Amino acid sequence: MIDPPTRRGPGPRPPVRTTGRQVVVFADRDDLQVDWSAAGITDVADSRDFAAGRVPAQTLREAGATVFARLGIAVVAAGPDQVGALRAAARPVLSVSPELVHRVLPEDTAGYVRGYRDGVADLAGRVLGGAGEDGTAAPPLFQDTATATWGVQAVRATTSPYTGSGIRVAVLDTGLDLEHPDFAGRTITAESFVPGETAQDGHGHGTHCVGTSCGPRTPPGGPRYGIASEAEVYVGKVLGDEGSGDDGGILAGIDWAVANGCAVISMSLGADVAEAHPPYSAAGRRALQQGSLIVAAAGNNADRRSGEFGFVGAPANSVEVLAVGALDPALTVAWFSARSLPSPGGEVDVAAPGVDVLSTWPMPERYNTISGTSMATPHVAGVAALWAEATGRRGYELWATLTQAAQRLGEPSVDVGSGLALAPQEGAGGA
Amino acid sequence: MALPLTPVSVTVDDGHLAQVETVAQALRDSGMEVERVLGSVGVITGRAPADARRSLLAVEGVTSVDGQLQVSLPPPDAPVQ
Repeated sequence: MIDPPTRRGPGPRPPVRTTGRQVVVFADRDDLQVDWSAAGITDVADSRDFAAGRVPAQTLREAGATVFARLGIAVVAAGPDQVGALRAAARPVLSVSPELVHRVLPEDTAGYVRGYRDGVADLAGRVLGGAGEDGTAAPPLFQDTATATWGVQAVRATTSPYTGSGIRVAVLDTGLDLEHPDFAGRTITAESFVPGETAQDGHGHGTHCVGTSCGPRTPPGGPRYGIASEAEVYVGKVLGDEGSGDDGGILAGIDWAVANGCAVISMSLGADVAEAHPPYSAAGRRALQQGSLIVAAAGNNADRRSGEFGFVGAPANSVEVLAVGALDPALTVAWFSARSLPSPGGEVDVAAPGVDVLSTWPMPERYNTISGTSMATPHVAGVAALWAEATGRRGYELWATLTQAAQRLGEPSVDVGSGLALAPQEGAGGA
Repeated sequence: MALPLTPVSVTVDDGHLAQVETVAQALRDSGMEVERVLGSVGVITGRAPADARRSLLAVEGVTSVDGQLQVSLPPPDAPVQ
């Protein structure tokens, strides 16, 4: 007889073990003044007093307190009754927490087998048709309401206290309908880099993208569709009224946006080439160094309905340009959204709403609902402007913040990168 | 007969960002019709004969010479943009 294996599924977890010591985090790392005696602590070791900052294990065990000055953290031999005194020992103390005992994570063979089973079930579901395990498409999580489009809800712009105030956002596209009533009273700087054309949008694509990234918090009529409602808008027309443009105008638009201190540059454009284009890599890198983050559409060259996954085109496939994929209201990958390339920079970095997106359109239509990674991109640009306002971060730091704060999805990372870009919520500005 | 001119983007290396105008002049001397000198991103755009790539690449401060990419949106009434 073989005994049945011990069940190791979900159940009560073993209690977390602590050491009896407290971990104190100080707010000010640079000027650490602690009155240890007031908290009844003697025998304080400081990592700065040890060669190469390496505190011996024995000291850690025996000292009343060990201070890691570079981290602004101390481990203190103190019981829970001394926590209050520790909080008062230096101002301000961010936290006092029990020191935890960490162990190597146990091997979980049953978990591996369960994962394998789930993977096979998922594969069967996909191959045999339908998006879900039972062969039916997942229901939409989001939908347009009378107050907000599904996209601004999904990125949580509707609950963010930030507006992009004080942040300049450049949208390099087909221009903007400068007479559009939804932008009346806004600070808009418009420039055309297309010979013989003004910045007035004769296509519609640019007006749609400006609406999503920077549209008003409460439009005169209809639901909210825009994110950075108080950002200063820089409209750079780099694509002509017939929808085309070349490097010359696009790079000129990037240069103009960087020179004007735009923290975010939104580019819902691309060419279906699989190689990174050196001028865009250089421009992206130098823009980041000067505090401007370029956000670009991954591309619409996939047709997942017929098994074509496409690839991230230029300029989004440059290492220095953040590439955006498109999601539908069920937060699954849009059928047209391009997949990551294996080459460096060819990754989809984040994803955002890009299916059935309502936004502004040149008058008299006023609004239009369309799809594309072009529509996902300005969602991320708007969210980036909110983070820039909330945290003051720019360039690579802003990029890292966006991907770090993204909501992870069950979709493959080759399609959605870090997941759904999310707006900063109350308190996101930090201490 | 001279070759037709094609649009090119010339990328300036990090060491010559402060001298983009000097690089642009050297590119003109090598047969490029310079249209834009983009100082913030260090790129010079314009047009050059198809066989001039090698001589442009030889200009001091130039790290890359590339034919310009064309970008085209679908028409305004297309459902996927």
